[in-house]
Amino acid sequence: MATIGADLVRQMAAGDRDAFSVFYDRYAPVVFPLILRIVRERADASDVLQEVFWEAWRDAQGYDASRGSPEAWMVMRARTRAIDRIRSTRRRGETFVAPLDENLAAAPRDSAPDAAERASNRGTIMTALDRLPEAQREVIELAYYAGLTQTEIAERIKQPLGTVKTRIRLGLERLREMVKAPS
Amino acid sequence: MNQMNHEPYETLAATYAVGALDGQDLVDFERHLAGGCDVCQAALRESAETLATLARSRPPMIPPPAVKEELLRRIVAAPAPRRATRPRPLVWAVGTVAAVIAGAAFTGAFVATRYEARLGVMARESAALRARVEHEEAALREQLAVYRSAADLLRDPQAQVVTLRGLGPSPAATGRVIWHPANGGYLFVANLPSAPAGKAYELWTIGDAAPQPAGLFQVDASGRAAHRIAPAEGGKPVKVFAVTLEVEAGVPKPEGPMVLASAK
Repeated sequence: MATIGADLVRQMAAGDRDAFSVFYDRYAPVVFPLILRIVRERADASDVLQEVFWEAWRDAQGYDASRGSPEAWMVMRARTRAIDRIRSTRRRGETFVAPLDENLAAAPRDSAPDAAERASNRGTIMTALDRLPEAQREVIELAYYAGLTQTEIAERIKQPLGTVKTRIRLGLERLREMVKAPS
Repeated sequence: MNQMNHEPYETLAATYAVGALDGQDLVDFERHLAGGCDVCQAALRESAETLATLARSRPPMIPPPAVKEELLRRIVAAPAPRRATRPRPLVWAVGTVAAVIAGAAFTGAFVATRYEARLGVMARESAALRARVEHEEAALREQLAVYRSAADLLRDPQAQVVTLRGLGPSPAATGRVIWHPANGGYLFVANLPSAPAGKAYELWTIGDAAPQPAGLFQVDASGRAAHRIAPAEGGKPVKVFAVTLEVEAGVPKPEGPMVLASAK
């Protein structure tokens, strides 16, 4: 199925700079908040954003529309590069990038704020993620936005590895259902 | 594959999709994927689309304009991405060599990092690998250019081929000079041992007067070298080509032992 986005990537692969400009205007505002959420610093987020789009331009020929939408392609690249950035920052030990949503870190488990409260605390609209059961939301946040591996998550939340994997799977399945049929 | 056996992979696929799989699980799952599991491929695709929808459900944010300006500047400065044109056979051969190198090195890199099991590490390694392959490809292209000009030179009826024989310390060494009085030429050597540290081989052209320096070169690990020779000053005839071993910076007249020379 050809989409406008997929056509743009095809034109980029043929060296069309105008297509790149349109492509950037279309997807940068989607991936920039994701990168910013992961790396926290606006200057770092701008660097990562540039890297992600530069690589998209360079690798446009490798894009295969049958394997996913351009949006999924860009979101995955953005998330991967942003996580690379915070992991290398953590390794260098320059800054500790808090891997947790502050609300999650501060709140004891039995008084975790409810989804709407969390969303309003962050000043964002409520997303499907906020509507997940707390235990599932927590593991997905730690994995996807903080870049922790399953082993690191198990240590952090003091749960067996199997539980972590199951929660991730259930959470992701539920997210999939919610985005398919938004309430 | 029956459902009971496949079920654990579905859990691994979800953890993989959020980038959290590590250790033996990651090794097992990637092996399973490499085996061509359509169910897992489809699950990963669907998870990627879900996560993309999640990203889009947040309010969009316009990034600083400087980012786009810088990108457009870089794009104008860099060559356009390579297009799929029909490659010429020689270029294709270079590409194949590069792909083989890439393939072999990738396998090595994968084995080395399987226990590190971190996508970030893999990404950095493949970037380093890409740089290495590009470097090797550039070296191959350079070599190709030398052979091509040597072949062009040979087509000229005025060109002559001179044989050089190994002397003293390197009797097994051989050399050929393709020489054109007006255009200069190329020296190709084989079986010459690597110059010791701090030393280099220097070529001399000898006519009626004193030997003239004609450039420094080193041999590769297999004892070969291809060296471009500038035309002799004023197109003076060259009667003898000789190679000596000299200090790395070169000398204005031969001092070291002669390792190759043409017959007078």
